Amino acid sequence: MEGFLSTYGAAIVQMALAGVLALSLYLPLMAGQLSLASPGFYAVGGYVAALLSTQVFTGYPNGAYPIPLIALEMVVAGAISALFALIIGIPSLRLRGIYLALATIAFVEVLRVFALNQPWLGGAVGIYNIPQPFFSATRVEYLVLALPLLVGAALFVARLERSRIGRAFVALREDELAASAVGIRPTYYKVLAFTLGAILAGMAGALNAHILNTWNARQGTFDLAILILAYVLVGGSRTFLGPIIGGAFLVALPEIILREVAGTPGLNPAIAAFLRDGRLILFGVLIAVSVFFFPYGLITPNLFKRRRKPPVAPLEATKATPKVSRGEL
Amino acid sequence: MSAETVLEVRNITRRFGGLYAVDNVSFEVQRGEIFGLIGPNGAGKTTLFNVITGMTPPTHGELFYEGKNITNKRPHEIAKLGVGRTFQNIRLFGTLTALENVMIARHIHTKSSVMAGVLGLPPAPQEERAVRQRAMQLLELVGLADAAETQARNFSYGDQRRLEIARALALEPKLLLLDEPAAGMNQNEKGVLSGFIRSVREQFDLTIVLIEHHVPLVMGLCDRIAVLNFGQLIALGAPEAVQNDPAVIEAYLGD
Ligand SMILES: Nc1ncnc2c1ncn2[C@@H]1O[C@H](COP(=O)(O)OP(=O)(O)OP(=O)(O)O)[C@@H](O)[C@H]1O
Ligand SMILES: [Mg+2]
Repeated sequence: MEGFLSTYGAAIVQMALAGVLALSLYLPLMAGQLSLASPGFYAVGGYVAALLSTQVFTGYPNGAYPIPLIALEMVVAGAISALFALIIGIPSLRLRGIYLALATIAFVEVLRVFALNQPWLGGAVGIYNIPQPFFSATRVEYLVLALPLLVGAALFVARLERSRIGRAFVALREDELAASAVGIRPTYYKVLAFTLGAILAGMAGALNAHILNTWNARQGTFDLAILILAYVLVGGSRTFLGPIIGGAFLVALPEIILREVAGTPGLNPAIAAFLRDGRLILFGVLIAVSVFFFPYGLITPNLFKRRRKPPVAPLEATKATPKVSRGEL
Repeated sequence: MSAETVLEVRNITRRFGGLYAVDNVSFEVQRGEIFGLIGPNGAGKTTLFNVITGMTPPTHGELFYEGKNITNKRPHEIAKLGVGRTFQNIRLFGTLTALENVMIARHIHTKSSVMAGVLGLPPAPQEERAVRQRAMQLLELVGLADAAETQARNFSYGDQRRLEIARALALEPKLLLLDEPAAGMNQNEKGVLSGFIRSVREQFDLTIVLIEHHVPLVMGLCDRIAVLNFGQLIALGAPEAVQNDPAVIEAYLGD
């Protein structure tokens, strides 16, 4: 146990955080919006925690930083992320599909460059010596905060899916025009889904700033956006469990490969090097494979439903009913 | 405009490039009417529905619903005022169940916030129960209650049309626009649909505007009929009068 935790403790905490980040992308996706802005809000959350804990809540010796203060920072980070989300969401969520994805990538990039050039954010070095509540090599103690965050986020999304607002999100994803024809206001609910996602990302960032002990412009970049997207696409984009399992799996996988496989004695050094450094390539392949074979991801709502035959056989004509966009209607 | 006018279309024009899909069309629909909109393919019927429901802005002209100018309102605002519709090219929420499709359309009649919904605080649980119950009633009405848990995309064409009507009714519209509700149905189903439309009008106190190609159905069902041809209104009146109108005969039989 001791050995296992010292090897995997940090990874277990990161698995939980990956689930939260994946849910932050899943929320706008529920409303049909492919946003890659989560790393931006994650970065904002991290800076909020870094600034608060190094400049406002000072005077606690390292190793004794109060856990409730971290929880408070997470709340503040969530609120500030929500504010950012409203400011950038209202104009950008009028964009569709790939244009929205590009706009959100641009947001992440602008934030990164901004942070890099701000002395009060520590410039390129960032903010370091972020105080920790534990003296810990493994950081596994951070589960005290990471697990409630993940469970809270999961319960939130699970309950949301079965509520009026969650159904409005899904209606927009399925057919925006039909949703508006039954009185659902598209922009409002898209911005809402985006903002809820931003809050989760901001909270995850705040917590990770403490875990990593330092925060800089390398946190929350485009690379992370691709990782989070992989969590959701591989895990599943049609039920809240998909992103959580996808996140846990894809964080654990490279750790296991790295420690158990790449270290195998006698392994060809080239392969070992690839296993060590080719993580993003591996993820790219995983995304491609899962999108191709499992368009809704590995975990789908049907896994949890009792199998039953549709009482009416599907007609060819039905399947061929074309979906037309607003312009063509 | 009489006090009983539900919808007034005033000089509506919609151009697509050089094409006048709807060309200076004016008419009024009275409360409680079943108003037919007919015309050859491409006459502009669906475009007119899209203009009325805010999905395609008009190039010219104005729209009044219950005396209110709704010309530049967004689709969700028009729906909120009480205008429901179905689509010629069925637009259900395909991967959701029949029940969910109808429940979603209760949106404007419920008001639970995110937090109430997530935490199960009032009024969410009560609303949820009422919405489910109402949706089941509507599915029963259109004869799909026993398929409530079936994904919408797995229904037959005719059943999908019925489900779209149930969804539109869940909005509790005062004005219901049906775009070719009988398309894809057989003779027998068309007869049933005709009776069904009449009975929902009574039951829900509706005014109905109906696009339909099937002439016997339109003639038997509608109180008044408007005929479009190349975007223009070429006839308007009682079914017998319209049927014998030379311009209409020309539009349907001419080159
Ligand atoms: N978004 C659009 N862009 C360009 N042209 C369009 C568009 N929508 C409709 N049109 C054109 O406008 C004309 C009217 O189309 P509309 O769909 O309103 O006819 P319709 O009377 O409903 O025909 P049908 O009986 O075939 O359904 C057609 O010539 C059509 O090609
Ligand atoms: Mg049409």
